[in-house]
Amino acid sequence: MSEPKQILDVQHIHMRFHSKGVCVRAVTDVSFTVNEGETIGIVGESGCGKTTLGRCIVRAYEPSEGDVYYTAADGERVNFVKIDKKTMKKYRKEIQMIFQDPYSSLDPRMTVYDIIKEPLVANFPKMPKAEMEQRIMDIAAKVGLNTSYLKRYPHAFSGGQRQRIGIARALVLNPRVIVCDESVSALDVSIQAQVINLLHDLQRDLKLTYLFISHDLSVVEYISDRVAVMYLGRIVEYAPTKTLFSHPMHPYTESLLSAVPVADPTVQTERIPLEGEIPNPANPPTGCYFHTRCRFCTEQCKQCAPEYKELEPGHFVACHRAEELKLKGFDYE
Amino acid sequence: MMENQAREKDLVLQVKDLKINIKTDDGILTPVRGVNFEIGKGETLGLVGESGCGKSLTSKAILGINAKNCKAEGEILFDAENLGMTDLLKLKPRGEEIRSIRGKQISMIFQEPMVAFSPMYTIGNQINEATLLHITRDKKKAKEISLGVMKKVGIANAEKRYDQYPHEFSGGMLQRALIAMALVCNPKLLIADEPTTALDVTIQAQILELMKELQKDFGMSILFITHDLGTVARMCDRVAVMYLGKIVETAPAVEIFKNPQHPYTRGLIGSVHKIGTKGQDKLFSIEGTVPVAMNLPKRCGFYDRCDKRIEGVCDVQEPELVDSGDNHRVACFACTGCPQAEKCGAEGGKA
Repeated sequence: MSEPKQILDVQHIHMRFHSKGVCVRAVTDVSFTVNEGETIGIVGESGCGKTTLGRCIVRAYEPSEGDVYYTAADGERVNFVKIDKKTMKKYRKEIQMIFQDPYSSLDPRMTVYDIIKEPLVANFPKMPKAEMEQRIMDIAAKVGLNTSYLKRYPHAFSGGQRQRIGIARALVLNPRVIVCDESVSALDVSIQAQVINLLHDLQRDLKLTYLFISHDLSVVEYISDRVAVMYLGRIVEYAPTKTLFSHPMHPYTESLLSAVPVADPTVQTERIPLEGEIPNPANPPTGCYFHTRCRFCTEQCKQCAPEYKELEPGHFVACHRAEELKLKGFDYE
Repeated sequence: MMENQAREKDLVLQVKDLKINIKTDDGILTPVRGVNFEIGKGETLGLVGESGCGKSLTSKAILGINAKNCKAEGEILFDAENLGMTDLLKLKPRGEEIRSIRGKQISMIFQEPMVAFSPMYTIGNQINEATLLHITRDKKKAKEISLGVMKKVGIANAEKRYDQYPHEFSGGMLQRALIAMALVCNPKLLIADEPTTALDVTIQAQILELMKELQKDFGMSILFITHDLGTVARMCDRVAVMYLGKIVETAPAVEIFKNPQHPYTRGLIGSVHKIGTKGQDKLFSIEGTVPVAMNLPKRCGFYDRCDKRIEGVCDVQEPELVDSGDNHRVACFACTGCPQAEKCGAEGGKA
């Protein structure tokens, strides 16, 4: 990449859900940018708002506040949050999603051919039938589906094959950005490796940009160029992958990394325990959201929320004490 | 070798040639096709394999809680209190004897704590069920015992939690409650079927540490079923790798990660990305998918997906587990050499 071209610019996104008079802050003040052809990993524990963030970006949810600027293929810069639904439809083709569970995200009553065709019909109703068929065949071959099986129903396919169908469905519109929401988490390790390799190859061939949401840190480390760590609806750290994994600057990232099980019994990692549980997002703690579980907590952390700022070039952290702490990460060879 | 002898003396569980058949409308499925393993006292055996390889069926067969259409053959010997070595398969599935073992001497932790608990009863009530059944009829005493175990597994505020319902617990806390329920009778053998798969990494690490600690305190043996090699490395003394209803490789944990021999084990270990090696080659992936365990031809189950297969050898007979030194046993002709040495002399033993 010579000149990284910005494709997404997320600014101060908030997402609040109201239910029974309670306001749940699922995403609070999240900002980050994504360059074209890049993979951004978003990690965090369940309930930290990573899926909500992904959905806000594709505008499956209407964010309560904030802007999502998208630079279209023709160079135009649009704000997904502000444009009306009709205009949005024009850009929907360019940003697609792959879901977590390959078993529930495919309609069991549609053939695979119809499943892959549906986005084409919705977005290009006037496309000639022959062209549609050509595109479906091409994409099926590209993701490694046997084209003679396309008339079958999803139940006839294994988990890995189904995830390929989901990927084909997302790719058939030639998108530029794909949000992968836990796309490999439900698969067995050997199949997981197949799908990850496929995503990698597709990115190289089609110049795709991925937002890769996952709780599996080793997968994220493998696939991502940059990683954002979320905690209780906020990004607490955002940095290039190697930097984040070798020199974390937020205590939460450090304990998250120390908890990753390493597939080598001779390696004895020293776990930095996280006391307690994630606080209730309907009633978040004062000050820094992480202070209730942080081992470096001070009076200042309890009182005021830390600013999310760039401490080193490209390394964003939200922690009062980030600069003084020497935190441990993984050793790179 | 010393270790081996010591194990012979106090085996807790010994599974011999276990086969399970399931009758379906399309024919007979054979998800478990002759499994052999044993667990010594205080030992943790990891049973590793992908979904559908028969690991859960094997564990449920030990407790005799498989569905009615599952027919199990073979022997499952368990060192039961006051019964001695008993073949669990011979016991009546609803009989007195198995009921004195199930939940008391062998207990189980299930994969999804959110599903394992009934939403209609309080946590305390459900933990107490085991206590009342196996330890004491006295409700007051039972509650005391249950509360004690809840505290032991790290449930803060146990008195209050005792009266709460499962939906008021988080996933990690619920898994702790499930562990409390399994441990309340101080079992000899704990079967943990993917106990941390549904949990976050931080919670997973907590639960694994808890299980290790409790194992020390209670001196129980653990059969740890998982597909996650990371947790295996952290938890297990020995590992048995299962593929298509058979154990294809078994060795001490350190050995299997250092020196995996079966192509499937190598594939499994290779397809897990190690943090700290970014920017290196593609992930290793095993081509193809697991075949359906129905009308399997007489050949190595891994034949179609194997990159070391030897034509004329691996496709005409099934390999059995063969000793390859250091407590390491492999079922693979390409690794240990095949019976017809002249055919594969070149490849055999190298792998």
